Amino acid sequence: MARTLAMFTDTSLCIGCRACQVACKQWNELGLEQPEWTGGYQNHAHFTDKTFRLVRFIEEPKPNGDLAWLLMSDVCKHCAQAGCLEACPTGAIYRTEYGTVDINQDVCNGCRYCVSSCPFGVVSFNTQTGTARKCTFCNDRIHNGLGPACAKACPTESIQFGFRDELVAKAEKRVETLRAMGFKDAQLYGADSKGFLGGLNAFFLLLAKPATYNLPDDPKVPQRNVVVDSLLSIGSAVVVGLGALLAFRERGGREDA
Amino acid sequence: MLKAPGWEMSIVLYFFLGGIAGGSYFTAAIADNFGSHRDRAVARVGYLLSLPLVAVCGVLLIIDLGVPSRFLNMMRVLKFWDPMSVGAWAVGIFGAFTFVSSVLSFSTSESTAVLRRRIGLLGMLFGFFLASYTGVLLSNTALPFWSDARLMGALFLASGASTGMAAVALVMFLTRTGVGDGWHKIERADRYSMIIELVVLAAFVALLGSAAHPITSGHFAPLFWGGLVGLGLIVPLLLSFGGRRVRALGVVSAVLVLVGGFVLRYVVVMSQHG
Repeated sequence: MARTLAMFTDTSLCIGCRACQVACKQWNELGLEQPEWTGGYQNHAHFTDKTFRLVRFIEEPKPNGDLAWLLMSDVCKHCAQAGCLEACPTGAIYRTEYGTVDINQDVCNGCRYCVSSCPFGVVSFNTQTGTARKCTFCNDRIHNGLGPACAKACPTESIQFGFRDELVAKAEKRVETLRAMGFKDAQLYGADSKGFLGGLNAFFLLLAKPATYNLPDDPKVPQRNVVVDSLLSIGSAVVVGLGALLAFRERGGREDA
Repeated sequence: MLKAPGWEMSIVLYFFLGGIAGGSYFTAAIADNFGSHRDRAVARVGYLLSLPLVAVCGVLLIIDLGVPSRFLNMMRVLKFWDPMSVGAWAVGIFGAFTFVSSVLSFSTSESTAVLRRRIGLLGMLFGFFLASYTGVLLSNTALPFWSDARLMGALFLASGASTGMAAVALVMFLTRTGVGDGWHKIERADRYSMIIELVVLAAFVALLGSAAHPITSGHFAPLFWGGLVGLGLIVPLLLSFGGRRVRALGVVSAVLVLVGGFVLRYVVVMSQHG
């Protein structure tokens, strides 16, 4: 496997211009959508089958009663332990040699199990193609020596692309700088490869707690309970089977409950 | 900010019919192996019922796909930790078992019967699997309630048993096969399954606590409490005790159990719908 690539989205630098969102749409030919009224500048409310990069406009009340704008360009996290990839029964969702997660559109048959297995609600179903869609990390571009379209278009370097280890080191320094400047809640989200989901290959610098951005504090791999649930099912099968055995067995007379 | 898979009626029906197919097959296999020659009707009806049901299941699963023509892509890989992957394989393998068992159930020779019983014991495992894996599939997603329900698979299995047995009893009544002992035994087996299902359901709700609110309160609550707990389990359980003497009560009981089994899959799946 090649060296892991990553995207680092530093929300402290985001100005909400949505160049990333537009660049993503255009490069990936994602087509038109009906806008949604979200009560603010954000559009759409959430990732769709045609919106892979989404600038979130979060209005956070300040102590003095004003509102602060928290801007965050959100994207598929390309988790090291990806729920969608584990759930995919066709093998259409795969990990590239760069560590990113992509959906092979020629293989996906649209069962939609991945949609409900993403801890971030990223994967979306496209009714026209009948397949699951999400950010590809611009798989075509990274295989041709280019960064993802969103990172390329970002005018403030809020979205940075590079080798994961280098970006994490950079991000850690940036958090220290911001904390020294008085942003006491500045923190990295998903940078720690020993943390949740084995680390995110698209990780973030946030200026507030993850919940403020509607991000889960401690997302979990959805498949973590397969063994326990299966054993409990087997237990149930044994009890049910014994019940049927009791009802049908020949010797022992009538066993009316 | 999580997303529901948008599964609708075809998946609800699949979960329901898959449970019946699995339940009727393992009931048939148990009756075939451990019952008397008078239980042969139960075995035959159970095997023969599971075959068309699993065929319908396959069709329901395929038409629900975004690209139905690519259904065979499910067979590109086998991920043993992934319920959707193992499930797709199991539906196919179980289908083969129901076919072979159905064909063999027409034979009267003793040597074929021995073979059929052995095949039934093996196929029974796939029947149990089909009845329960759909629950494990839901409980291993990222969605709340589904992923909190450790007993979802166990509950679906118990429901598969009660509905499978109710379906066998109903078919036996309608086709007037196995009157007498076989009917009493399938009724008794169904009674046990209903009791087990009630216990598992109580544990399911108790363990979930407030996580069960999508079905225990809100607009699915009347269906859950009235349709599943009341009409689908408690009433048929009471009726089935009467059904030991009055056959019509047993028939009503079987119908209600089937309704309850459908309601269970419906409220669980649809409570997460968009």
